[in-house]
Amino acid sequence: MTTNQSSTRFFKIFVPAMLVYIITTAGIAALSNNSNTSNYLLYSLTLLPTGAIFVAFWAQWRFALELDEFLRLIQIKGAFVGIAFVMIIASGWGQLERLTDVPRFEVFWMLPIFWSVQGLAITFISKREGVF
Amino acid sequence: MKNHLKALRAERGWSQATLGDQLDVSRQTINAIEGGRYDPSLPLAFKIAGLFQKRIEEIFHNDD
Repeated sequence: MTTNQSSTRFFKIFVPAMLVYIITTAGIAALSNNSNTSNYLLYSLTLLPTGAIFVAFWAQWRFALELDEFLRLIQIKGAFVGIAFVMIIASGWGQLERLTDVPRFEVFWMLPIFWSVQGLAITFISKREGVF
Repeated sequence: MKNHLKALRAERGWSQATLGDQLDVSRQTINAIEGGRYDPSLPLAFKIAGLFQKRIEEIFHNDD
């Protein structure tokens, strides 16, 4: 399978999964503002964006496996940078939350931060390695 | 590691994409190997050596 074919397969899954994630997340947030919405319904609906995230990660896993070894290494390096970034932020801010009265940071934001940092890292590494 | 991949490819008049197709890797990977920015795995090195009908050490060698 060529890199272009793998990319197409990846985006065909990743983009719809992200749309489901964004739309359902916004929908659940809107519903939660309604005091008549039961907590059980909100708990159940939370499975939708969570499932979308699972699908998005599965697509990324499959994409990385389909790439050749050099391009896969770039994906892995990018993912590592993303993971390291969110772990450092989570751990550092978590320490501050435990020890001081800093504002609470919602763990929800870790995923968007991860995707963003990973995307930037992959772009930067790809450029440095002459991929494009 | 350094290598003679670019010269071997040029001898045959192949583009990076053509060589990549024969090795089942991307053009970018060939470019990175030729530029010394990436050292291929042992299986890929064997594949390259087999394609050019040479020993691995005839294509790849240490920097020093």
